[in-house]
Amino acid sequence: MRDIIHRLSGGLLPSAVLIVLLMVLPIVGAPRSWVLYLFLYFVYLTMANMWNLLAGYSGLISLCQPAFIGLAGYTLVICTWMGLPFYLGIIAGAIVAAAFAILISIPVFRLSGIYFAIGTLVIPEALRIVFFLWRPVGGEMHGGGAGYMVKGVTGVSMTEFYWLALVIGIASVFLMRLILRSKLGLGLASIRDNDRTAASCGIDVFKLKLYSFVIGAFVTGIAGAIFYIYQGYIEPTSAFNIRWTMILMLATVIGGMSIEEGPIVGTAVVVFLHFLLARYAGISLLIQGIILVGIMLLAPQGIMGFLRDNRTYRSILQLATKR
Amino acid sequence: MTLEFLGDLSTPIMMGILLGGLYALIALGLSLVFGVMKLINVAHGDLVLFSSYFAYAAMTMLGIDPILSLVIGMPLLFVMGFAIQKYLLSRAFAISMEAPLIIAFGISLTLQNFQQIIWSPMSRGLTTSYALVSFGVGGTRVPLAYLLDFIAALIVMFSLREFLSRTYLGKAINAASQDRRAAQLMGINTGRMYALAFAISMATAALAGVFLGLTFPFTPQSGVSFLIIAFGVVIIGGLGSMVGTFIGGMVLGLAQTLGGYFLGCAAQMLIAYGMVLIVLAVRPQGIFGR
Repeated sequence: MRDIIHRLSGGLLPSAVLIVLLMVLPIVGAPRSWVLYLFLYFVYLTMANMWNLLAGYSGLISLCQPAFIGLAGYTLVICTWMGLPFYLGIIAGAIVAAAFAILISIPVFRLSGIYFAIGTLVIPEALRIVFFLWRPVGGEMHGGGAGYMVKGVTGVSMTEFYWLALVIGIASVFLMRLILRSKLGLGLASIRDNDRTAASCGIDVFKLKLYSFVIGAFVTGIAGAIFYIYQGYIEPTSAFNIRWTMILMLATVIGGMSIEEGPIVGTAVVVFLHFLLARYAGISLLIQGIILVGIMLLAPQGIMGFLRDNRTYRSILQLATKR
Repeated sequence: MTLEFLGDLSTPIMMGILLGGLYALIALGLSLVFGVMKLINVAHGDLVLFSSYFAYAAMTMLGIDPILSLVIGMPLLFVMGFAIQKYLLSRAFAISMEAPLIIAFGISLTLQNFQQIIWSPMSRGLTTSYALVSFGVGGTRVPLAYLLDFIAALIVMFSLREFLSRTYLGKAINAASQDRRAAQLMGINTGRMYALAFAISMATAALAGVFLGLTFPFTPQSGVSFLIIAFGVVIIGGLGSMVGTFIGGMVLGLAQTLGGYFLGCAAQMLIAYGMVLIVLAVRPQGIFGR
């Protein structure tokens, strides 16, 4: 069943054409708002892909993704304040996020399932307070630590941010394909399904989970840093906000958790929702929350899962691929 | 010298223990739901706040005393809890392990935004005539609201414990949590027991919400921080144990006030969160867990 969907999206030529189209979009004069929404799409897609890797394939419902995003953002800002170019800041941010993932894996990997989820929920909250109290560079501004501007990106245009996001978005999709077809992915899937059986078959459960956690943190960190280059400003409340978790979860769940294409479809829906609800900022979270509950109850496998099990869609797909 | 030092310490210790009462009160409902259906209700903090806002509305619009408004508030949240479990969560349990968690997360965000729309993001508080009263105990001044929190937590803790171990209904809930199929074979409607447990947890949340409002100002965003505090209490106290939860509340409250005393006010929550992480690393089943 699954390989049918793969064949649809699998052809290298259509995806290459699509990528080239997406790349030239800002040059040929697409509206700025389109480029912005596509930028957000790729940043969210990257994060959602990594959340899917953790929650959908490794059984780690990680609620500490904002910690990685915020840490990477702060590392980026600190690097730019120290006069380093921003691309070094992105890499440094990702490395810090990954290192932090290794550090917190010591306490949180002792928990499993839902305990793990709540254990990780504490971490962004704690970091938020740390960054309220601690001002790493630049001295006191107005009474203690608070926000920072990103330095040295004034010359960089939106087009370049967009390309950065595009590259990491597409890379994350390929990374997922690569991981899932490798031994790591198979091992992770077996851990998710039954960790005791997996362990008795000779799989090092702790190691594989740690690998996926660190990879997830690293890539999420890159996406987070790219987002903060675009935003140009970082402050603790929004950097370590639970809103991030909401976006990733919504994107993955709407599209279909544990399905490779899930985040690709789900993120499109989420960004479209943002676009639609931009005018009603007051109620947008309310609507998103209701959608999250509704999708979970009505189509727990998400859009892709629903399509996968839908007979009409399958027969259309078969007709399309036969030709 | 040492005596003076201790004299200074008696205030944070006293306040910490009483504050622990409030934390335990918030956490008891979470602990009950956790113990019975192995679900960490991520929406707990927001449901507690919903009760605070309900009391606030009753106080400002109808002039009803917050504690008196619990006569309506507790049944309201009881029914809400019953409905949430029966119509949303029970279905989710059939889907997968993660589904109830994600649904609770959705409920949490929905409620948070709902409260923001109705009551604006501004900070509110249940300021009654007695909320600001304080009295002296051995040279330290203690706010009356803190004492009320502590007493309420004690009463709720003991009545929950007695309810779960002595009444037929409580025993049935216990049975359903220990072994669902065996309980069903004994003629217990486990679905209803789960819904009842959730409803009772929500009734305690209603109580917690009012006392929270009497003690602290709150905003629609406070739900997450109180959820984390409650979770910390449950983690420290051992999952699902009522007395453990109560003691966990004291430990966290003390950690916070003593941390604030030694390291300054801004760092006090950091100490509490740090403690949760350390307990997780050293003893994931909680200090008093089995």
